[in-house]
Amino acid sequence: MLSARSRIALALLWLAVLALAAWAITQRLQLSGDLRKFMPAAETPAQKLLIDELGEGPGSRLLLMSISGADVPTLAAQSQALRAALAARAEFALVANGGDASLEAIPERLRPYRYLLSDTFDARPLDEATLREELDARVQDLGSPAASLVEPLLPADPTLETLKLAERWQPANAPQRLHEVWFDRAGDKALLVAQTRAAGFDPTGQQAAVDAIHADFASIAAGTRSELVLTGPGAFSVEIGGRTAAEAQWIGMVDTIGLILLLGIAYRSWKMPILGALPLATAGLAGLGAVALLFDGVHGITIAFGFTLIGVVQDYPIHLFSHQRPGMSPWSNARSLWPTLATGVASTCIAYVTFLFSGVDGLKQLAVFTIAGLGAAAISTRFLLPALIDPAPRDFADSPMLAKLWRGIARLPRPRGSLAMLALVALGVIAFAPGPFWQNDLSKLTPVPTDALAKDAVLREELGAPDVRYVLTLKGKSEDQVLQASERLRPALDRLVATGALAGYDLASRYLPSAQVQRARQQALPARDRLQSMLGTVLADSPFNADAFEPFVADIEAAKRAPLLSRADLQGTPLAASVAGLLLSGRDHATALVSLNGLQDPVAVAKVAAANGAQLLDMKEASESLVAAYRGRVLAALAFAALLLTATVWIALRQPRRVLRVLLPMALTTLLILAVLRGLGVEMNLFHLVALILAAGLGLDYALFFDHAGDDRADQLRTLHALIVCSLMTLLVFSLLALSSIPVLRAIGTTVAIGVFANFVLALLVSRQPVEEALDAAA
Amino acid sequence: MPTLMLLCSAAWPCAAAPDAAAGAAADAGWILQKLAQPTPMRTAFVELRGSAMLKAPLRIEGEYQRPDNATLVRAVRSPYVETTTLRNGEATIARAGKTPRKFALSRVPELAGLQASFGALLSGDRALLEKHYRLTPQGTRQQWTLVLAPLDAEMKASVRDITLYGRGAELRCIETRPLKGDLQRTLLAGAANDAAKASSVDALAALCRAGAAR
Repeated sequence: MLSARSRIALALLWLAVLALAAWAITQRLQLSGDLRKFMPAAETPAQKLLIDELGEGPGSRLLLMSISGADVPTLAAQSQALRAALAARAEFALVANGGDASLEAIPERLRPYRYLLSDTFDARPLDEATLREELDARVQDLGSPAASLVEPLLPADPTLETLKLAERWQPANAPQRLHEVWFDRAGDKALLVAQTRAAGFDPTGQQAAVDAIHADFASIAAGTRSELVLTGPGAFSVEIGGRTAAEAQWIGMVDTIGLILLLGIAYRSWKMPILGALPLATAGLAGLGAVALLFDGVHGITIAFGFTLIGVVQDYPIHLFSHQRPGMSPWSNARSLWPTLATGVASTCIAYVTFLFSGVDGLKQLAVFTIAGLGAAAISTRFLLPALIDPAPRDFADSPMLAKLWRGIARLPRPRGSLAMLALVALGVIAFAPGPFWQNDLSKLTPVPTDALAKDAVLREELGAPDVRYVLTLKGKSEDQVLQASERLRPALDRLVATGALAGYDLASRYLPSAQVQRARQQALPARDRLQSMLGTVLADSPFNADAFEPFVADIEAAKRAPLLSRADLQGTPLAASVAGLLLSGRDHATALVSLNGLQDPVAVAKVAAANGAQLLDMKEASESLVAAYRGRVLAALAFAALLLTATVWIALRQPRRVLRVLLPMALTTLLILAVLRGLGVEMNLFHLVALILAAGLGLDYALFFDHAGDDRADQLRTLHALIVCSLMTLLVFSLLALSSIPVLRAIGTTVAIGVFANFVLALLVSRQPVEEALDAAA
Repeated sequence: MPTLMLLCSAAWPCAAAPDAAAGAAADAGWILQKLAQPTPMRTAFVELRGSAMLKAPLRIEGEYQRPDNATLVRAVRSPYVETTTLRNGEATIARAGKTPRKFALSRVPELAGLQASFGALLSGDRALLEKHYRLTPQGTRQQWTLVLAPLDAEMKASVRDITLYGRGAELRCIETRPLKGDLQRTLLAGAANDAAKASSVDALAALCRAGAAR
């Protein structure tokens, strides 16, 4: 036995090692927020596209904004100021508010390309008649109040192609423009869209973007009553992240105080809370370290779920503490508890092994994290913790209060038939409760508050943002091939718009015509000599000076000779962002997307698409099938895990009666949890499943320890003490989570809280062996 | 009140001169009060638009109309037909056979100035005018000028000043001096009628400033 002083020193040393490990792990820990790691492999084209869009897609990078609360000119000015401020920041690839700032953003070197990008001269060539008509209109422009706007453009661009392109590049179904910026239909909200450079699920990048918007808006709107509404996947993840952190902080604080009080009261020693926390901290670090070693990046969800699942190890030291008694060394105590503890840990770990074969990266990480964590906690409880425990001043079996409680429990009738009834009722509720059993909506995996979703839907609708459910795809071998295909598709799409099957559409060839089209336009442009002679004729009897349009002649010549514009040339322009969202390319294939607005008749659109070599994809169907496939894998893994767990317990206990007594509370509790949640109308999602696993793990431990106590009254009392402390502790932590406003935390909290309660009661009634002689003695 | 007092001191001559006489010095208040006309009203204009791209300044004729207090219409009759409507801070330009084009006045400070000054002038809204300009009256009630120097930073960047020329209750000419480019001149009412006969830039300039106290 070590001295009291060296025990403290050892505890401090352990803490120091943990701190050092924490530092080392954070050095190589790469936290990833990429939800795709938590998805099974995509199989259908729609699923593949969905997975692409989820992480990197332009949809996930869009932040939608509205400014309201002032008169139209003020809002318009604020919209312009906000656009200018945000466009100057590195966080954003694109900021649009309806103003034609795209003109200034197009670099000088690309300006001559307007004659290859614009379709003005497709229908009627740039000949003398066209020139004359255009120049007549320009004279009027110069005489109009807008003269100062147009005049600087005229020498190089007498047909105002720049303005036409800027107009054409407005989103296909753009909102109305008041004071040259987008406004909602009612005309009291100015609308803006920003595309972040960071991916949608890059929490730090999105946080920076959201902070930038709020900061810029605050300085722009200072002194006015204007208000900003900001939505979009990034804004949501930031908001949820912030709220989760804030709630986790107060919940964590209340938990910590509660646990210290609880352990202090239960063991009447200030050391116990510290000693009790050591295995948990060890487990967390071991889990993190294992994942960091074996995987490239640790998913945020792995950490959140992982820490939830290893919460069970908090119970390990409690069992040790409660079974301490005078005259027994902590080492022999740990040795006697070890078979039970090891059975629980081993069977749980073996169950988690099934996750390794789930084919989902995130679940594999979770399995590694949990197995490493549980293992480290068990081993440290067995081989390190006993060295730190002070000799016990009392035996909890001697506590009169506990004895009274125990007698009360012992008098309770043993349930038999009633358990079968309970199971039947639970099954009935699970089977017949109204409402869908599963939550299939993929977006609920990162649950967003409903009011935020509603605001987002309104903004999306006002901004004419593309249909999130349907998208058309065109596949080909090269970018140019799919661009040509989408140009061929356009007449058919225009007919669909004319018949009302579709309100509008957007495709990459709107911004980047195929090489074929560019070449044709290039060839149709007049040569320098011809243009000059045409201009000479037209200008002779026009109010314009003969040399007024020299820059125009130079630009046409540049356009005629320029190498064709490719996607690479657009780099760094606002067009690059628009094209990137609609043109996806791999090494030997390319996909052009056609985003759709106001889709009224999916069947008609699908038919037209099929006739033109395109395909209409239903993203909602894809996401639901993906969630279903995902859940299928989790459930299969769980079923297999249950079998493995049973087998392990069987091998450890060997007697069918004992196996039944240990497994029954856990199985029954799972049914009860499902029945209660279903009865309350809760739809099950991934978070519930994970919480169910934790609840089952707790139940297994409770039952194993009661089974371990056998029919020895004193040992049953000590076990009762341990389990009261354990279940109160777990109940405290998860009841607080159940009070959270974050749906994920609430799902986990309610599930586990119900589970702890049911497991504790059932373990008492089912797993505990009757103690005949003790009862007689007490009577 | 301090602005008004400042204005009174700027328009100092008014206090020194006898009140009702035609030869009395014109002050901003008197000019504005005289110019105010109830809607609907209309007045002919002749405008010269100079540009480095043009062989000669463009001569535009037409009519300014104020169908109601909030609207100003610029109807061009010659050399082409075009109607510009300024309303709610937006301009709509309509041409025969074309869909009307819209743009925000905030993008054309000169025009915003015109809308503000013209509208404020014709409604006699001195407070509105003084929100955007420093007013400097000169001359007598018979022949006066009122110089409007912009106060907004944005307008200052493109407009040096706007000078109004008038006789009694008649506003005859508006000259806009941009920071860059040519001076733009709009002849109104009697001056516009007289301009029908004049054709040279100099003749129009003379008509605009005819007898002005400058």
